[in-house]
Amino acid sequence: MMMAGAGAVSLAAPLLAQGTALRIAFIPQENPEKLLGDIEAITGWLAAQIGVPVEGFVTIDHAAAVEALRNGDADISFMGALPFVLAESEIGAVPLLSEVYRGAPSYTGRIFVRRDSGIASLADLRGRDIAFADPISESGYLYPLAEFERAGLIDGPDGAGAFFGRIFFAGGYQQAMQAMAEGLVDAAGASQYADLLLTPDQQADVTWIAESEPIPSHLVIARPGLDADLQGRFVDAMMQLNEPENRDRLRYLYGPDGYVLADSSAYDGVREMARRYGLLR
Amino acid sequence: MIRDFATVLLATIAAVFVLAGPGAATPAREAPWLPEAAAYRLTLFLGNLEPVPWDEVATAWSEPYRGSEFTVGGLAWLGRESAVDTDRLEAAIAQQDRQAVFAEATRLIALRIEEELERAVTAQDPAAAQQAVRTGRELYRAFADGIAAADPEAARRIGIAWLELNSSTGFAGVLGAGATPSDTDTMMAARATISDYIAQNYLVEDFAPRQTLSTLPEIAALGDSNVEVPPALPPGSDIFDQDPLPLLVLNFEEQGIDETGLPLVAYGDMLFDSAQIFGGPARDLGIACSTCHNRSDVNQRLFIPGASHQPGAIDVDGAFFNPIFNDRRDDPIDIPSLRGLRFTGPYGRDGRFASLRDFTRNVIVNEFAGDEPTPFMLDALLAYMLEFDFLPNSMLTTDGRLTDAAPDAAWRGEVIFNTPFAGLGDRSCASCHIPDANFLDRQAYDIGSVTPAYAGARAGAMDTPTLLGTLYTAPYFHDGSLPTLGSVVDWFDETASLGLSEAERADLTAYLETVGAADAPYEAFDEENTAFRLAFSELTTFASTLDTLLPRRDAAHILLLTDTVAADLAADASTMANLAARPEIYALAERLVAVGAAVRDEDWAAAEESWSAFQSEARALEERAF
Repeated sequence: MMMAGAGAVSLAAPLLAQGTALRIAFIPQENPEKLLGDIEAITGWLAAQIGVPVEGFVTIDHAAAVEALRNGDADISFMGALPFVLAESEIGAVPLLSEVYRGAPSYTGRIFVRRDSGIASLADLRGRDIAFADPISESGYLYPLAEFERAGLIDGPDGAGAFFGRIFFAGGYQQAMQAMAEGLVDAAGASQYADLLLTPDQQADVTWIAESEPIPSHLVIARPGLDADLQGRFVDAMMQLNEPENRDRLRYLYGPDGYVLADSSAYDGVREMARRYGLLR
Repeated sequence: MIRDFATVLLATIAAVFVLAGPGAATPAREAPWLPEAAAYRLTLFLGNLEPVPWDEVATAWSEPYRGSEFTVGGLAWLGRESAVDTDRLEAAIAQQDRQAVFAEATRLIALRIEEELERAVTAQDPAAAQQAVRTGRELYRAFADGIAAADPEAARRIGIAWLELNSSTGFAGVLGAGATPSDTDTMMAARATISDYIAQNYLVEDFAPRQTLSTLPEIAALGDSNVEVPPALPPGSDIFDQDPLPLLVLNFEEQGIDETGLPLVAYGDMLFDSAQIFGGPARDLGIACSTCHNRSDVNQRLFIPGASHQPGAIDVDGAFFNPIFNDRRDDPIDIPSLRGLRFTGPYGRDGRFASLRDFTRNVIVNEFAGDEPTPFMLDALLAYMLEFDFLPNSMLTTDGRLTDAAPDAAWRGEVIFNTPFAGLGDRSCASCHIPDANFLDRQAYDIGSVTPAYAGARAGAMDTPTLLGTLYTAPYFHDGSLPTLGSVVDWFDETASLGLSEAERADLTAYLETVGAADAPYEAFDEENTAFRLAFSELTTFASTLDTLLPRRDAAHILLLTDTVAADLAADASTMANLAARPEIYALAERLVAVGAAVRDEDWAAAEESWSAFQSEARALEERAF
């Protein structure tokens, strides 16, 4: 796999000198070993398409990926919508591509409960325990929480503590959904697709009581000042993944159904949300 | 490559892991296991087999489990990630000391949880703390089913402690935005909740002797309650259907006869998909006839550690499914296709059952620990299975001759196939695989494919298998020892000294591949014919037998049907493309549950009413073509 012009991959610092190659930051959730295999497969293909070496490396989280874009260790990164608007504001990161799932470059967050819980509305969750994914997750915290605000039950995230019994950040959709399904908490705030993480039997036992407005999907972003020609060739290559003969490669890239060119204005809602929550100045 | 949002969608295409579900024949995909947790679960599973396959226990720790995302096994992983000592575990495995292996492996996982908890509370930054919590929780999962079974209150307390721990690590945010500080007091308290329980129940110096190795906490093992952990398949198991799914060819269906007009066949079709007719772990794990025989054919991916030596093979008389039927011989067989079943008797790889009815009863009662089936159940199963036809093949006439569509090499190969050889006792391949008898002769021969189990054994005769459809049922021979039809040709050429040239072997292989081919071997799914639609149509067909059973007031067979179909329908909803329609499917499943509940109460009017509601709602759903 490590042939000339093919992809290179590492868990630590980038290998290649700036300017001679395209360096892509990936963010793991679970097993970095599996990630390395996927990165090797996709960077090899990208290198052949673009005509320059492509190096992929794994960062510990979104913050580290943004840091890598800032200091030039990475040219490109995969990124959630909220970290993107923060990175855009702080370092001028450029949106290139948005992921498409089930036909749309957006998804929603939902509040899930057990069907036998008797909980039918957001108001029923007063004084009850809820699990979210992570405090900087769009669909796993901010957008679902905003539904409580819209329902007039809380005023902003600071009011959440007074409304709910206990609020947990479970560490991910899966953990939040499991906590709800197992009865450890009364509700979970997570992506609209998060119930697919439960077993088929658990899926039959849960339902959702509120859905957020559409959340623009995760993106691929670039550092400011990346060579325009190189950036263009990268985007062209990524758009090739939408072609039927390349679609199987999408599984190496977080498994979207495809990519569209990013529309920066589609992220205005996220910017507004980030400002409202005091994350964006 | 995994991240929150993508994880959700990846879940539907993830590598295969199997989770126990309560009897539904739709297995759940399970999150990957950490290497040492996988090795532990495998050790307990294998350690309960009689005799214990000690080489597999050792391999469970030295190699990555089947389908693992990790490239290394548990021991190497621990060498890299942990300071926990593995010497005592390795010594116990080498000594083949079952209780010591249980004790050392259990303590090892407990120590690993402790190690990660310590990392979490001493981490310098939130990301590292969360990573440690995540790892610790994944390790705790190795014990979780035992704690949930024996001590639900503790399971809940610890579950909340993990949430508290993760929530109190603090969060780094992005570029400082959204950062929250850690809450050390909460972290320490949550850690203590988990650690105390682990110390008392899994870090025990001298474990009580275990009859059955399980994840039950020590307090449950010491007590006199008979708590049992629900059966689970170990990491590396795969009971998902084969992909691509074999095409089912039913004689009546090809003639345009609707299955709903054949209630006995439809009921048999339901039983073929029902784990409820089995007992023991098969029933709890949702294993049915169709788990191994997908759409009347084979399941090339099926694998259960300790029972399968390779994918597509299983030892059905081992220790796992029905201990009383354990023959104590490690003799898994390659799953045979049931296509053309009415022409392929006698039954069993060695043809030991002349009667399909006797064979079927043996599968249910002895192999899979089910209750004695009623005569009606056996009649129904046979009525259904006798409809299994061979796959249409336009390169072959019905009396087994090649057609013009067959390639030239196959024509040349046919000549060799019909040529007598001295090494075959002056017989030809066609002497046993008789072309105008569906390429079999209903006899058993010892062709030397079975290694004698003892000196002088005369136990190697195997039933002549048909060659029809075999292009899609690799590997070959009773034990699946030959991977391709070409290797089968080579095997005969060598063992029977046929003296074939390379070109002749290629021609003979081409002939076998032509005879074994089919015009359409697999179910063709598209946007119209989805996997869910197929399942929905099947399940509503099964339910149609209520038209026959309700007027007969046949409570026992109605309950078997409603229990099977309601659970499967709800579980299959998770495979729908139209996720928004899932609640309607759940509601439909509840109609069947209501039929069952009414029958249990002997309220036949209510049962009829729920059945009518089911029918009209199912029709409405069908018309909307999801």
